[in-house]
Amino acid sequence: MGQAGLTRRDFLRLTMMSPLAGAWLPTLWPKEGQTNLSESKIVLIRHPEVVDDKKKVNSQVFQAMLDEAVAALFGTKEPLDAWKLIIKPTDIVGIKTNVWSYLPTGPEVEQAIKRRLLDCGVPEERIGIDDRGVLRNPIFKQATALINVRPARTHYWSGMGGCLKNLVTFVPDPSVYHPDTCADLALLWNNPLIKGKVRLNILLMLTPLFHGVGPHHYSEQYVWPYRGIIVGQDPVAVDSTGVRLLQAKRREYFGEDRPLQPPAHHIIYAETRHHLGVADPARIKLIKLGWQEGGLI
Amino acid sequence: MGKKVAGCFRVMGAKISAAKKMSQKRALISICLLYLSYIIIFSGFSGAQMVAFSEQEQKEKIIEVLASFLPAAIEGWRPRAPDELYTPETIFNYIDGAGEVYRSYGFRWLLVRRYEKEGQASIIVDFFMMGRSEDAFGVFTHDLEGERVAIGQDGLYKGGWLAFWKDRYYVSIYADQETPEIKKAIFILGQAIARSIPQEGKRPALLDWLPASVDRNRVHYFHTLPILNYHFFVMTDNWLELNETTEVALYRWAKTDGAKTCLLIISYPEAPTAQRAIRQFLRNYLPEADEAGLARLEDGFWTGAKVEGRVVIIVFEASSPEEIESLIGQVIEKVRRESVSKMG
Repeated sequence: MGQAGLTRRDFLRLTMMSPLAGAWLPTLWPKEGQTNLSESKIVLIRHPEVVDDKKKVNSQVFQAMLDEAVAALFGTKEPLDAWKLIIKPTDIVGIKTNVWSYLPTGPEVEQAIKRRLLDCGVPEERIGIDDRGVLRNPIFKQATALINVRPARTHYWSGMGGCLKNLVTFVPDPSVYHPDTCADLALLWNNPLIKGKVRLNILLMLTPLFHGVGPHHYSEQYVWPYRGIIVGQDPVAVDSTGVRLLQAKRREYFGEDRPLQPPAHHIIYAETRHHLGVADPARIKLIKLGWQEGGLI
Repeated sequence: MGKKVAGCFRVMGAKISAAKKMSQKRALISICLLYLSYIIIFSGFSGAQMVAFSEQEQKEKIIEVLASFLPAAIEGWRPRAPDELYTPETIFNYIDGAGEVYRSYGFRWLLVRRYEKEGQASIIVDFFMMGRSEDAFGVFTHDLEGERVAIGQDGLYKGGWLAFWKDRYYVSIYADQETPEIKKAIFILGQAIARSIPQEGKRPALLDWLPASVDRNRVHYFHTLPILNYHFFVMTDNWLELNETTEVALYRWAKTDGAKTCLLIISYPEAPTAQRAIRQFLRNYLPEADEAGLARLEDGFWTGAKVEGRVVIIVFEASSPEEIESLIGQVIEKVRRESVSKMG
């Protein structure tokens, strides 16, 4: 594919070749050689009690899930040992959250991350939590490390709001990334405030939004309690897995393949054009932990 | 300003009349402000004339005009915060990238009002003033999910969200919870706003070219490639040269044989652009097409394209070449008939 664009014909050809591969994006995942990475490792962990019926996050359960996921990701016995592999006491750390009113990251999640940063020896005054104010926030301006965390949702213009897109508030005019429905969002990651600083991506699949309507692109009926999180260092692999889950849920809910509108092609391009990470599920080592019922993938 | 101003005065007259009916107490000075605001909004005043008003004053006047279409209270819900005004430049501050959809339809202003009531979810009114009634219709067709309701010129309701269009206004009323009380308030609010818009607007003329079998309630109308790809992904390269000057109607329907056929009609400002667009499309998307512009694709279904003057018609994924020729033939006949009637 390279720099060339995609067409409907590409989808048709590949769907004919692998009809069970699912619709749209999954059939076009790039192959090895189109990225700098041959494989990425991520962790998907779920727990039936992490959110209650009112979508309230249970802090203790979430903390335990995060710890288990991070330890599994880095192959350590103790979660804190894993955190210490990515965070030094001398770091200045920004927790890049998301404040979208209908589905925010939320304080329980933010505090769970902050707790582990403190445990790593980072002083409180060198930890910041922000979203739309990052460009004015002295901690984010001086940050040596970032933790990127947000809920997964379908998005009116980019197809999916995930970890790749979450950093768009690091630019003064996010609309410069809007052409071709945000195809080149991965370029964000070359921004000096970001490049090489993101130590961990956490895509919240606690209550993801799998479809939206209207200018606000939100409806309670399209939120489902998946009760999971995806954790990884490669944002492309994390989002690629998130989008597979959203598509699987759409298939289940609508009873047919209903592609994301618009297709979240920025995830494919993050690999093929920008070599930021791995989008191909076949090259993503997905470790699944915890509750498995209704796992979808 | 010529015709524009005359149009403004007509709208103005109707609006003033409606305003009088709604409230006899409205002071003369308010009417004068409305009058000035209409001139600002509708007439495209020159920069020199605009400097007579400060930016803040202009904003306040526009808010006042747009807010006059919205009731002060409904079923106990009232605004507790000032109305917000967004432009094509600032809309991203409100609805992020979704603003691109409304920009692609050339919206001018968006007034946002949040109605609050103790112990109830807020009701948010997004009141868009578009440049043309056709685009108010178009932006309404962006989301066609929901149950049809008789509010405005077309209305839809789904799970706490009411959308309708009337004249050059597109209105979205939304609450993130749906209870019988909230639903009732949303409908009363929608009806009140629709009543306050004094006249109806034109639908896109392009719709007249659709075959008779097309369900008009399922047609999307738009201008640009990202919106085409939103509804029906075709290609990332803009071989069809879609932009703000092109008008597109898209209709997709499922059939018993498993095909989901899509009819696309594109009207270009000039015939040479249409000719160039179809050449590019056939060369890049359908290189194996025969002389009639038809080809059978990988999935066994047929796709075909034709140009008629400044109109390009494409049928994607039909069951047979005959079906494509029939659909395209019906459109061409209507386009030709219209050309003849215009000449006459």
